Amino acid sequence: MNIAMRRLLGLLLLAGSCSLGAGAAHSHPHVWITATSEVIYAPDGSITGVRHAWTFDDMFSTYALQGIETKTKGVYSREELSSLAQTNVESLKEFGFFTFAKADGRKEKFQDPVDYFLEYKDAALTLHFTLPLKTPVKPKELALEVFDPSYFIDFQLDDKNPIKLVGAPAACQLKIQRPNDGTANAQKLTEQNFMSGDNSNYGAMFANKITVDCP
Amino acid sequence: MRLTSGFARALTIGVAAAVALLALDSAVHVLMAQNPFGGPRPSADPQVGGIVGWLLSKQSEFYREMSSTIRAAKSDGSAVWTLLVISFAYGIFHAAGPGHGKAVISSYLVANQETAKRGIVLSFASALMQSLVAVAIVGICALLLNATARTMCGAEKVIEIVSYALIAAFGARLVWTKGGGFIRALQAPQPLPAMALAAVAPHDHAGHGHDHHHGHSHPHAHVAHHGHEHRHDDHGHDHAQGHVHDEHCGHSHGPVPTELAGPGGWRRGFGTIFAVGLRPCSGAILVLVFALAQGMFWAGIAATLVMGLGTAITVATIAVITVSAKDLARRLSGASEGGGALIMRGLEFGAAGLVLLFGVGLLFGYIAAERVTCL
Repeated sequence: MNIAMRRLLGLLLLAGSCSLGAGAAHSHPHVWITATSEVIYAPDGSITGVRHAWTFDDMFSTYALQGIETKTKGVYSREELSSLAQTNVESLKEFGFFTFAKADGRKEKFQDPVDYFLEYKDAALTLHFTLPLKTPVKPKELALEVFDPSYFIDFQLDDKNPIKLVGAPAACQLKIQRPNDGTANAQKLTEQNFMSGDNSNYGAMFANKITVDCP
Repeated sequence: MRLTSGFARALTIGVAAAVALLALDSAVHVLMAQNPFGGPRPSADPQVGGIVGWLLSKQSEFYREMSSTIRAAKSDGSAVWTLLVISFAYGIFHAAGPGHGKAVISSYLVANQETAKRGIVLSFASALMQSLVAVAIVGICALLLNATARTMCGAEKVIEIVSYALIAAFGARLVWTKGGGFIRALQAPQPLPAMALAAVAPHDHAGHGHDHHHGHSHPHAHVAHHGHEHRHDDHGHDHAQGHVHDEHCGHSHGPVPTELAGPGGWRRGFGTIFAVGLRPCSGAILVLVFALAQGMFWAGIAATLVMGLGTAITVATIAVITVSAKDLARRLSGASEGGGALIMRGLEFGAAGLVLLFGVGLLFGYIAAERVTCL
C-alpha cells in the first residue's frame, strides 16, 4: 500500500511539473532574420549608436507585404513601404529592438530609431534603422547582443562581414560570437532545466554576441 | 486499515503542499517572464540539446521547407504532396513541443474524470477548429478585405486575448465546481488523525458502513439534494447521528461519471474545444498568407488542415497518457478506502486550478512566448 501511494505521489509530481513546465516554456521561431549591423562612432571615439539592416525570410516578407498597394505588381518602392517601415519600428520598440548593449558592463538604453526604411529585393524585405544611444559612451569594452528572448524570431548574423565598426579608433578589436558555433563554453540545455520553467530568457541561447574592445 | 487512512491523509496534505509549491514556483517564474528583458541571463552560453532541442530544430526545418515547397508547387503539382507531408510532420512536432493547448486539454481531462475516448475527440476537434480559424482569418482579412499584415495581426491578438480569457473563465468554473467537491471530501471525518487514533473504538464500524455511501450513486434526484442538505434526515437515510457530512459525498461533489457521458458532459467539452481552438497558430497564418500570395491558397488550406491533423495526433496521444495516468492514480488510491476519494478530489481540484492558472497566465502575458508578435 505504502509503495503504491508513494508511486502515486511520484506520478502526481511528475504530471504537475510536466504540465507547468510545458505551459511556461517557449516556442520555436516563426520568423528568421539575417542581420548585419554597424557600430557608429563619433570623431572623438565615443559610440553614438547602432545601425541595423535586417533581412526577413521570404515567408515573413510575403506576409508583411500583404495588403500593401503598389503601382507595379511585385515591385515595392521605398515610399510604398514607408508606412510598413513605420509600423515595424513602432512594434519593435515593445521588444527593445532586440538589441541589448552593455558598455563596460553597464546596460545602455537606446532612443527611438531614426533613418528607417524598408527595401524589397530578391523576394525579401530588409529593414534598415539606426538606434542612437541615449547618451554616447566611450567604454573599454562594448558588448552588444541581438536576439529575441522569446525566440519567436531567429536572428542570424550574415555570413560575411556582419558587423562593421564605422569610424572606430584604430586600436579597437571586434569579436563576434554566433550561437551554436562551438566557440561558447557550451552548457547543455537539458530537458530538466527546460521543463523547470526557468526559461524566461530562453532565446538568449540563440543570441549573437558582439564585443568591441578599445584599449 | 485506519492507520492507512491516516497515512493517506498525511500523504494528501503532502501532495496538496507539493501542488501549491509547484503552482507558486510556476507563478514566480511566469511573473519574472513578464519583463522578458529583465530576467536573469544565463552566464554561460547554453546550447539546445537533447530531445527538446531536436524537436525544435526539426520543427524549424519542416517549417522553413514549406515556403520553398509552396513555390515549387506552383509549377510542379507533385510538390503539393511534399507540402502535405512536411505540414503533417510539422504539426506532429509542433504539438510535441511546449504549448498551452495540450496542457489545458490534459488538465481539463483530469479535472473532469473524462475518458480517453473523449480526450481523443477533444484533441481532434480543437485542432480542427484551430485550422479553420486560421483559414477564416486569412480568408476574410487577406482574401476578401485585402487587409494589411498589421490589421490581420491585430485581429489575431484580439482573438488570442478572447481565447485566453475563455480558458481563464473555464478554469475558474472548474475550480468552483471541483473546489466544492474537494472541500466536502476534506470535511469527511473519516481520515482525521483523531479517528485514526480511535482505530479500536466501536463506532469505527459505523464509519465503515458510511464509506459505502461514497460509492453509491443514489438513484433518487441528485438535484433535489442540492440545497436540502440540512434536511437530509427527511430522506430517511439510515446513517448514525454525529456523522454530519460524510454521507453527502455520494451526491454533492460534482457529477458522477455516468452523468458526464450525457449531453451536458459534451457541452462542457465544447467549451474546451472552443477556448483552446479559438486561437490559431501563427505559423498556419503565415503559411496561408504566403500561399495566397503565390496564388496557391487552396494548397495553403490543405497544408493547414494536415498540420492540424498532425497536431491532433500528438495532443490526443498526450491526452490518452494523461487519462491513463489518472486511471492508475484512481486504482492505486481506490485501494485506500475513504482517503482515496479525497486524493482524487484533490487531484481534480489541482487540475482545475491548473486550467485557471494557464488562462490567467496567458491572459496577462506572463507566458511570454505564447503571444502573437506583430512586427
